[in-house]
Amino acid sequence: MTKRLFAMAREEWRLWLRSRLALCTLLIFALLVTSTGIATALRMSSEHRERTEQQAVAEETFLAQPDRHPHRMVHYGHYVFRVPPPLAMIDPGVDSVTGQSMFLEGHRQNTAMFADARASVELGGFEVLTAALVYQLFLPLLLIAIGHGLIIREREENTLAPLLAQGVTGVELYAAKGIALAGVALALLLPLAVMCAAAIGQGAALRASAGVMGLYTLYVLAWCSPILLVSTLVRSRSLAVGVLTLFWLVAALIVPRIAVESSSAAIPTLSKLETDLSMQAELRKVGDGHDAGAPAFRQLQANLLAQYNVDRLEELPINFRGVVSEVAEAGLTEVMNRYAEQRMALEARQAHFAASFGWLSPVVAASAGSRALSGTDLATHHRFLREAEAVRIDFVQSLNRAHAEQVAHGDDINRSVDSESEQRARISARNWNALDEFSFQPTAAGERLARAGTPMAMLFAWVLMLTAAGILAARKMRP
Amino acid sequence: MAELPVSPAIPIALSAQALRVVRSGQEVLKDVSFRIAQGEVHALLGGNGAGKSTTLLTFLGFLAPASGSVQVRGRDVSEDIRAARQAIAYLPEAAALYGHLNAYENLRYFLSLARMDTQRPALDAALDRVALQAEAREMRMQTYSKGMRQKVAIAMAILREAPILLLDEPTSGLDPAAIDDFNRLVRELAEAGRTILLVTHDVYGACHVADRIDLLHKGELVGTFDRPPGMDRIDTEAVHAAFATHAAA
Repeated sequence: MTKRLFAMAREEWRLWLRSRLALCTLLIFALLVTSTGIATALRMSSEHRERTEQQAVAEETFLAQPDRHPHRMVHYGHYVFRVPPPLAMIDPGVDSVTGQSMFLEGHRQNTAMFADARASVELGGFEVLTAALVYQLFLPLLLIAIGHGLIIREREENTLAPLLAQGVTGVELYAAKGIALAGVALALLLPLAVMCAAAIGQGAALRASAGVMGLYTLYVLAWCSPILLVSTLVRSRSLAVGVLTLFWLVAALIVPRIAVESSSAAIPTLSKLETDLSMQAELRKVGDGHDAGAPAFRQLQANLLAQYNVDRLEELPINFRGVVSEVAEAGLTEVMNRYAEQRMALEARQAHFAASFGWLSPVVAASAGSRALSGTDLATHHRFLREAEAVRIDFVQSLNRAHAEQVAHGDDINRSVDSESEQRARISARNWNALDEFSFQPTAAGERLARAGTPMAMLFAWVLMLTAAGILAARKMRP
Repeated sequence: MAELPVSPAIPIALSAQALRVVRSGQEVLKDVSFRIAQGEVHALLGGNGAGKSTTLLTFLGFLAPASGSVQVRGRDVSEDIRAARQAIAYLPEAAALYGHLNAYENLRYFLSLARMDTQRPALDAALDRVALQAEAREMRMQTYSKGMRQKVAIAMAILREAPILLLDEPTSGLDPAAIDDFNRLVRELAEAGRTILLVTHDVYGACHVADRIDLLHKGELVGTFDRPPGMDRIDTEAVHAAFATHAAA
């Protein structure tokens, strides 16, 4: 039976090879995916190099600062960059919409900034066409173009009856056509395999890369299944093209849109303005760390004086201003982190809600799985934000501690009065070494595979369900 | 309809008993019965919509009888469709071949599906028998005339080596010389023991090639004509008269 199945599949491949239209369509797609893949790979490689260099420059610049008052360094700040993982050459994911660098400074949690706006303008937006997008949106169209007539053509050209009369069963014919279509679809994944190999060469995890290949294999099979089903059930090519194009429109354009809109509606988030106003109200209660005399720090002052058994701030062995900065920073950070975690939790819930639409559209499932496996999903961005915040609070509090321990209170309050005090209020630049090196690493392969588990299960369900329906239809196949 | 007597010594290759077939709610075959002995050439003659092709599709198991039965080599088709199809080579009305393949490729492909590995000399021999020009054999069939395609389809039926041939309007599109060649070929195959059921609306051709003609009209068998012993054809005028009478009715 296998021999007969492959004989029929081979015949289909021969038809496509001899049909100029099919061959041209296949070549155009191969060209599109290869050129897009190369363009995306070059762009992400350049981004990777630039951000790594910029990270090194930012660290060098920070460390090269001369002796200064520590609080000036708190406001001098520092930059961190999210270096794209190697598999971003396939799917840059949220990279271009979430910002890739962040300015870290005292008392604030800045949002990530964008760096490629100029490139986007220069390229007329073309750079958004990624290999992942080409596979997710255009490959199904190509498969529809070449596959809709797989069984209908046999019917229309009267070859179905002789085929069945040779003892070929409907299920055998369905399977053979499935092999033919899946064979072409899998061959079209070859550029993706090359990109995965290139990513492995650049340090991508083998398991994650294999996961990407597995996901897209399931995805193309998830598209082969409805195409075969429609070709088995429908009796005219034009109707089949209409039905499948409608399915593509719904799956690729309408459901993803509904997923995003409904996730926003189902899990509403406060606007940035509302959040900022609410957070500012709480931050005011913490107090301004620049104003050590503020009522918010009176209790702190009393406690310290009691602790060291002295009557005046000048008698304290530590600089009260530095202590206030440290305490205020801790308080502010607690409030800011709470808001940030709330926001990220809502965003994660929205993303999860939107991804659940993968049960309704293989495009949504593939898109979510692809971002997770490539390490360019929202969860990875959230990890970047948390790691950046850890660096921020660490270096700011190190400087605040240095402020408290190395700058005398008297010099501190008089540093604007005379230049000698100003000089004495400076600390050694060696303290800047408290800044940790920041190197954003890709998420572990196991974690990425776990995150892609549900989208892959969705795609598997699509394949299983539609193939079962196709086999049932094929069993009843008549000329 | 009364069945005609068949010699008990000769096995029955095909038989229909009180066959009734309904398609899209319409009764297209009504209580049709006939038996075809091995090595016999049997023609179903009738106009458009008489139910000729439906009869063939029922023998292939593509249509199920609403009542009655069809048997291939004594076995009910509904019991074992696969066995029935293995015993039959079917030639549909419009020669159903692939335009992107040449004659050899078409033959090899269809024969491979019937699990036959046929070599080039055997293919050439079959194509010689149907008189397909040698220079055309390597050309893609999309360049063939209807008659040429029909010849290749007939060659396929020959090569299938099936004991039973179902031919749907086999001479449609053939020129007169090719029709004569075809009729001669059918007789040769029958003499070699093949059973042939052909459906046609060509009275003249049917009378020349068939041992027996059943006249179908609107799904009913309305007449049967046998080749008289010692004669080389069935009485064309009698068949024509019956055909015309029913066509006018």
